Amino acid sequence: MVVRIGFLSIAHLHAHSYGRAINGLTGCRLVGIYDPDQERGMQGAKEMGTEYFADPAELLSQTDAVIICSENSRHREFTELAAKHGCHVLCEKPIATTLEDARAMIDACARAGVKLQIAFPVRFVTPVLRVKEMLDSGAVGKVLAIVGTNQGQMPGGWFADPELAGGGAVMDHTVHVVDLIRWFLGKEFVSVYAEVDNMLWDTGIDDCGMLSMELEDGTIVTQDPSWSRPMTFPTWGNVTMRIIGTQGMIDLDAFAQNFVVYDDAHRKVSERSFAEDMDLGLIQDFIQMIVEDREPTITGYDGLKALEVALAAYRSAQEKKPVALG
Amino acid sequence: MIRVGVVGYGTIGQVHCEALQEVPGCQLVAVADVDPEARARAQRDYGVVAAESMEAMLDAAEVDLIDICVPTHLHEAMMVQAMEADKHIFCEKPLARSLEEGRRLVELAKGYRKKIGIGHVVRFTPAYRGIRRSVEQGEVGRIGVVRTFRGGSQFPEGWQDWFANFNLSGGVILDLMIHDLDYCRWLFGDVERVYAKSTCGRTEVRLEHAMAVLRFKSGVIAHLEASWTNYPGQFYTAVEVAGKDGLITFDSRKSSPLAAMTVPGVSAQAGAVAANPYALELQDMVEAITEDRQPLVTVEDAFGALEIALAAVESARTGRVVEI
Repeated sequence: MVVRIGFLSIAHLHAHSYGRAINGLTGCRLVGIYDPDQERGMQGAKEMGTEYFADPAELLSQTDAVIICSENSRHREFTELAAKHGCHVLCEKPIATTLEDARAMIDACARAGVKLQIAFPVRFVTPVLRVKEMLDSGAVGKVLAIVGTNQGQMPGGWFADPELAGGGAVMDHTVHVVDLIRWFLGKEFVSVYAEVDNMLWDTGIDDCGMLSMELEDGTIVTQDPSWSRPMTFPTWGNVTMRIIGTQGMIDLDAFAQNFVVYDDAHRKVSERSFAEDMDLGLIQDFIQMIVEDREPTITGYDGLKALEVALAAYRSAQEKKPVALG
Repeated sequence: MIRVGVVGYGTIGQVHCEALQEVPGCQLVAVADVDPEARARAQRDYGVVAAESMEAMLDAAEVDLIDICVPTHLHEAMMVQAMEADKHIFCEKPLARSLEEGRRLVELAKGYRKKIGIGHVVRFTPAYRGIRRSVEQGEVGRIGVVRTFRGGSQFPEGWQDWFANFNLSGGVILDLMIHDLDYCRWLFGDVERVYAKSTCGRTEVRLEHAMAVLRFKSGVIAHLEASWTNYPGQFYTAVEVAGKDGLITFDSRKSSPLAAMTVPGVSAQAGAVAANPYALELQDMVEAITEDRQPLVTVEDAFGALEIALAAVESARTGRVVEI
């Protein structure tokens, strides 16, 4: 079986990496791209060696599955459209910008009998997989505290538009670490406190954040989602976690497998990864799920629970007190 | 020549005695410790008077400056005693174990004619001084987010294991995180509110890991992390300051100019620049006396850090936000 895949919007830059992954894999084929922005869609199609579709329905009639890389607030309409056409969905994170939209997406896919997977590719980073194995084998005993960061440069474009992105740094960079922790420990977050502000970039959207949280088993967690890496920083950002257990600790720096290039011509120092491509792992897993007709590795519910924490962080910052999660 | 008497010859007392040897204009003349073994060690190490109490030390030697290096819960009583003896005082951080004790010391210090300095040594470490200079000069613009880390070494061993007794030490927040609380206050001013979490009370295991989120009046958001572990590890500190025009980062593990591995089985790493921050803080104290000025860290400064630390302890205990 060759799984036929299309893109519904490539507004999110990850689309290009997903496209490369599809093109590099056997067992799947990139059918085409629909994008409401025709120029962007055509350009993307050219770069990925595929076709541009002006009509999403036409694309969906030729695909088994779609990848939705639209702006966050449009995930729902594209997911519902895909479900209507019986296409499985891989949706970029965060699942949506409101819980209502997230629930509607989960319902639409369930009703249509299609699978909904959320793109948390960090789960496919090799050192992250090792951490999961170590925790499962009890290597550090019972986990007591986790200190996480997902700091980055300011991504710009629609990411700084609250209507389209649903928030700034906190919306953008909370969900990855929250998803990893839920996956690592199988526990839910029960309280969220956050300080959130716009102090680093002239965007009017939050770029500084600090979350302090608790899991249902009493594990304490902090997470720094700030867009606090300057333009001169040698890489886009990081995902790090310090995990303190009763029998030891783990320091994870998920993207630390790099060499460094000092480039005089562009006056730029940059880190280049030599790690496995996590997006390839994500796409491979998505294809396998369809072929094997199994449950998604990362479900819509996972996406919903991560979004819940990000939204609670904004509410906490408004109310200046911790917010309880149900 | 300022004659110094060190009270308490435990971990930090020994560090101070060694550092005093480097400080011009002063001389270690006496040590006090309740433990006879510690007294014997001090006598052997420096050949000075070793008395069993501050009172006995002052009877036995002429002392101008009393350097208090006893466990935290004894700071207030010792400082009051030293003030009654009308001596210059240097006291190891934190200022005191409780807010009431701290307030009493602030009041007493107000009318006191001699100098009092508190040992917030981080202000004297070259890297942290350099970072402060960069921030003050506006190199990275207006500051938004700050992170600090301090820890990585095993749970400290002290006299009668006082560090492990929360009532005596206040745990990792009051003993260790207070370094960075003072430093951040020095850079970013007053704190508006604190929300903190600690493993204290959540495990029977001999470790404590704490994370505090601070909001400064200036708007700065800070995340401070301090750790006493139960596994063998290397002590290190880290700080990062993100501003509108750039980022400053420091990790003591990465400034390691020398590594030596020898046979058989001895390895040494040195991250130290020539300056010893303990000698620098004591030199500042000695100069404050001779130049008749305030030392860099006053009782009021130390009270400011104490206030935030105890707020963090309270927040971690109650789960609530504590306004300063």
